[in-house]
Amino acid sequence: METLKSLLHSLKRVLIIIAVIALLVLSIRVTKPDLVKLVSSFPKAKSIMGQLLRPEILGRESEKITVAQLVPVPCGSVANPEVPASGPRITVDPPCGNPKDKVQVRGYELPKNAELSIRWILPDGGLLSIKNAVTNANGELTETMELRPITAAVDGKPAQLAFEITLPEGKVVASQTLKDVLDAMFVTIFMALIATTIGTIFAVPLSFLAASNITRKGWLGSAVYYIVRAFLNIIRSYEPLVLATIFAMIVGFGSPFAGVIALSITTAASLGKMFSESVEGIDSGPIEAVTATGANKLQVVVYAVVPQIIPDFLSFTIYHWDINVRISTIIGFVGGGGIGYFLSQRINTLQYSQSGTALLAIILVVWALDFLSSEIRKQLV
Amino acid sequence: MKEKTSRSRLVSIFLSALVPGLGQLIQKKYRAAIAIFLAVATSIAVVAWYGKPAWYILPALIWLWNIWDASSLPGGKNAVLPILLWLLMAYGIGGQVTEFNLRALVENSKRSKDIVSAMFQLDFTQPKTEKKEGFTDIQSPCSATPPVPDRTVNGVRVYVVEPCATVNQTITVKGEGFWPNTPTLIYWQNPIGGKAMDAQVKSDAQGNVSLEWVVSPYVHSTAPDPTVPQIHRIKVSQSRPIGGIELSDVGGYVVQGIYETLALAFLSTIVGALIAIPFGFLAARNLMTGNPVTTAIFLVTRTILNIVRSIESLIIAIIFVIIVGLGPFPGMIAITIHTVAALGKLYSEVIEGIDSGPIDAVKATGASWPQVVRYAVIPQVVPTFTALTIYRWDINIRSSTIIGFVGGGGIGFFLWQWIVLQDYRAVGTAFVAIAVVVIILDFFSARIRERLV
Amino acid sequence: MLKVEHLTKVYPNGTVALKDLSFEVPDGEFLVIIGLSGSGKSTLLRCINRLIDPTEGKITMDGIDITAAKGAELRHIRRQIGMIFQHFNLVKRSSVMTNVLSGRLGYLNSWSSTLGYFPHEEKERALAAMTRVGIADKVHSRADALSGGQQQRVGIARTLMQEPKLILADEPVASLDPVLAHSIMQYIEKLNEEDNVSVICSLHYLDLIQRYAERVIGLKDGVKVFEGLPSEINRAKFKEIYGEEAQDMRATALV
Repeated sequence: METLKSLLHSLKRVLIIIAVIALLVLSIRVTKPDLVKLVSSFPKAKSIMGQLLRPEILGRESEKITVAQLVPVPCGSVANPEVPASGPRITVDPPCGNPKDKVQVRGYELPKNAELSIRWILPDGGLLSIKNAVTNANGELTETMELRPITAAVDGKPAQLAFEITLPEGKVVASQTLKDVLDAMFVTIFMALIATTIGTIFAVPLSFLAASNITRKGWLGSAVYYIVRAFLNIIRSYEPLVLATIFAMIVGFGSPFAGVIALSITTAASLGKMFSESVEGIDSGPIEAVTATGANKLQVVVYAVVPQIIPDFLSFTIYHWDINVRISTIIGFVGGGGIGYFLSQRINTLQYSQSGTALLAIILVVWALDFLSSEIRKQLV
Repeated sequence: MKEKTSRSRLVSIFLSALVPGLGQLIQKKYRAAIAIFLAVATSIAVVAWYGKPAWYILPALIWLWNIWDASSLPGGKNAVLPILLWLLMAYGIGGQVTEFNLRALVENSKRSKDIVSAMFQLDFTQPKTEKKEGFTDIQSPCSATPPVPDRTVNGVRVYVVEPCATVNQTITVKGEGFWPNTPTLIYWQNPIGGKAMDAQVKSDAQGNVSLEWVVSPYVHSTAPDPTVPQIHRIKVSQSRPIGGIELSDVGGYVVQGIYETLALAFLSTIVGALIAIPFGFLAARNLMTGNPVTTAIFLVTRTILNIVRSIESLIIAIIFVIIVGLGPFPGMIAITIHTVAALGKLYSEVIEGIDSGPIDAVKATGASWPQVVRYAVIPQVVPTFTALTIYRWDINIRSSTIIGFVGGGGIGFFLWQWIVLQDYRAVGTAFVAIAVVVIILDFFSARIRERLV
Repeated sequence: MLKVEHLTKVYPNGTVALKDLSFEVPDGEFLVIIGLSGSGKSTLLRCINRLIDPTEGKITMDGIDITAAKGAELRHIRRQIGMIFQHFNLVKRSSVMTNVLSGRLGYLNSWSSTLGYFPHEEKERALAAMTRVGIADKVHSRADALSGGQQQRVGIARTLMQEPKLILADEPVASLDPVLAHSIMQYIEKLNEEDNVSVICSLHYLDLIQRYAERVIGLKDGVKVFEGLPSEINRAKFKEIYGEEAQDMRATALV
């Protein structure tokens, strides 16, 4: 008998192991892990990681110098311009032309070895970038260019050819990316704050309805209890991001609002569940004692129920704010807004060092809030 | 004595006016001091970031209150007012930047009603049907010698009375050998396979079909030159239920997506848990803080785990989608990495919490190090490790439902496409499937964990 | 004068907790109820302030029918009846002050007290009550920071706030060690003597019964099996009320 029992026991163990292995094999067939590809794409991964690890935080303040020269197209549409004798200047040879003509463009006394971009300033003020170039050691530059129909003079106003040179000035300042990331981070934290608040406001009544010691009395109470419980469980089975898609469909993609609603709903559901467990755990003694003093129902709630649940409620709420900040970092992927939106845009346009800045901000903020919330919760207990 | 009080009161007022909370600090009301300073500092920072000067009134009021509070020795003022001001600032600006707009919900109520009611019409199964089809090719516009539009296959004949079709003229399409008294779909396929016209008729008692059809100019809409004759096709098709149901197209994709999601979650949980075990040991304070080298390893491991843990798996997934391409594989890598970080941390806490009693006892019997691990450490950690892993599996199933949003495979991949295509019935079906699967697996995992602990 | 007539309580699950119980408590009497746990002592006390609704019978206090009272009238009656509990039933996370003040809720405006506002004279009254039971130094402590004996004194102070005519004490010292038990019983006795408050108290220890009771009622399975003076309780009587298990109880050691 004893041997049979132990035999059955080991049989059960073997069966569990076989089942796990079978599931693993199935999963591998579905997921198709391609380790060869992972290894072969290592150089790509290295380059991406390299850029991610060099986040753009600081930039240099820069000065922009623009040198421009009028180019009449076609010839005679306006008078040929004069070229200054000295200083940064552009000469065009021939000085005017028709569309599709080739002209030689020379720059003199420009900053040495400086990067510049060559562009047209069109008669209507629009800009047309042609190419980027570098000046030589003497600060000179020679390029051959083709005139285009779009550069034709309009109403006696000619287009100008311009060199725009950006000179690093040396003063180190916060980069534009860092400013954008901070902006997005603020929005993210606020999304979490508002969603947590709204979620909590709805979670409180839901938790009382889902607490067996309060609601499960009589058939009507039981019905309410089970319906609310089922509702909370269904909502809790969705990632906030999935719910965000519905609201994004309704209020439109691109606004943080959809994410905030979705996050509020999931917060209400999961806090509702957590609160209800706390309500179920309250001690009935103080309720009895306060009732016995002749207090009315409201006074009983305020003096016997609320003090028992407030610390738990606060602690859960702060904990959830922490979670919501984490989720807000990705909710922008569907809803728009916040750091998630910024990040997905930068990654999709392959700007990895800017993405690195966003990732760094996420890590720091999540860390800081994690620390802060656990400290506050320690104080509350 | 009284003079002294009034002097220290003046000092407090002055200091609090200078730096909020400083007056309270020298009155040794440390908590109040910190809270006031943080309230003023955060509200100024937020207003400065928001950039609308009118909002500065709120931090200014909190500042004034702080001065007033500093003037009341030895007690303090009721803090309701500044808390309200701070909340007004936080929610006022927060509401603005998150574009909080309940009206948007109400204004879109019609739209949301349409969307939600479409979502409730699940598209999971369809009645099983059988089909009877026939077609004939027809020329349009007419050439001098058009091919005869008449074709019979397996006793099903489709023909057109006229030899070819001219735009705006009526042709007569006829079919023979179809099921009698059955709704029949007749449609016109242009040369590149697009549907140009369609009509619904009913076959007669003999199984014959007949339709007088005006040829729309639209049939030539894809022709490079509408004057050149081309061969078009007229299809006649019947379908009737044969009893029973089968998965619809969407249903098939939902099943495939859920299957992928579960596989992804399972694989990344197992792989992640296995990789997390060594990390858990390396990040356990009690094992690693013996000498400087291991302490360094401990600190590095902890830091890496913490950094990775704070990045959502979805973000890791986008990066891997770029590196290895679309599909469940990058999703699996992302979830695995996040699992390693989260479980590594939890495992290390379990290891830190083990009881040293059994270890000493086994050591005292003269056991070797592997024996100590086998008989004193493993029995203590395995049940908790397993419970944590199953709990993580729960989380991973939820994560795998969204990892497809960025191309990481699973139900999320299909869901995202249906959202973009605005196929709300399919979206609703995916939602129901997600809820059912997640709730069922939640239930089982809770049962298993209960038995383990 | 409290009068209990033909009191019967049957719980929804069919348990008969009290069966046709009748007795009277003259003003200023210290009445002790004894009996095994489950004999109906707690049910009896809770029927008197209507924390439990009796199935049949009538309870009157000074001619007012408690069993028929409802709503505001019931709360008015309850505030004249203080109650002391075995497990103190304090709100552990609230301060001692708030716990004591909560005894006054039956007298106060519902809205201002809901917002946590108590008039100054109520705070004075609470301090006086705390001074009387010797815990004035604990005003701002949290209730769960106090020892068991101190917590029970907070419970008594809370009852004092009600300015009761009658105090129901449900095994007030069962969770305390014997030395503390005497000190708590002395506070209750003081209230009984100085304020002329009637006391109905359930007790287990024979020495406490003989030291404090003026009159004793014994319950067994919801039926009154003894009524008389504490001196009339001898070992045999005690055994009759408590059954053979009394042998194992601490109380018998004192007989």
